[in-house]
Amino acid sequence: MADLSIAVRQVGEVAVLLPAGFINAHTVREFEEALEGLVQDGRYLILLNCKDLNYISSAGLGAIMGLIETVREHGGDILLSNLQDNVFAIFDTLGFTQLYRVFTDEDQAMAAAVPERKG
Amino acid sequence: MDHAQFRLVIPSQTRYLNLVTGLAKRASLVAGLDDATAAKVSIAVDEAVTNVILHAYGGEGEHSVELELRFTEQALEIHIWHSGRGIRGDQLVLPDPKEYIKHPRKGGLGLLLMSRFMDEVQFKADEVSGRNECCLIKKIS
Repeated sequence: MADLSIAVRQVGEVAVLLPAGFINAHTVREFEEALEGLVQDGRYLILLNCKDLNYISSAGLGAIMGLIETVREHGGDILLSNLQDNVFAIFDTLGFTQLYRVFTDEDQAMAAAVPERKG
Repeated sequence: MDHAQFRLVIPSQTRYLNLVTGLAKRASLVAGLDDATAAKVSIAVDEAVTNVILHAYGGEGEHSVELELRFTEQALEIHIWHSGRGIRGDQLVLPDPKEYIKHPRKGGLGLLLMSRFMDEVQFKADEVSGRNECCLIKKIS
């Protein structure tokens, strides 16, 4: 099994990215390219559904940090949902839960994302 | 538990990170740490080994990284040795998470995760062998 696989689907205005496996210094470029591809396509409202993400290191956090200003400048955002406990612990330990909105599941994230975009 | 230790030597290539972090997680469980703590130890080891590969060795893949796991009654110790560019503990400046959030940028978070997730993080240089060491300690409560 590959260390990381990434699926993308579009749900209305929201691009849903589903990383599965491990994001570390070895796989981060693949994750970064997936995020950059969305931004280059003008898809600035992005949900990271992390239900199958077992692990993310600071390399992965850096990839998200590297694009957050760009997406917000274009009226979008990067939202997070379905974080496993250990992944949440990493975000929370670094205070990133103050910077990103984290939702229990994808439905909650969608409900929050779409009104924000229209408002 | 008897004091036990064993060593693993990997090439300085990120493709082996998953192997090392998996080992660190299993070792934590064997040492008696719970699942959540084991996950944190594995992240700390990932960050430490990544620092060695990318920064101490500058991304050059033909070097070696040596890990030693030591199990004692009090703690799990993970010692990571390399022959690349070393850092001293007194040279480290951990980013302030609040400032980091105000001024986001790439990099600088690995050391912070290591220090938050482990009880002790030590950097040492062995002048005799010329090798550098990062030592991660997690106490067993």
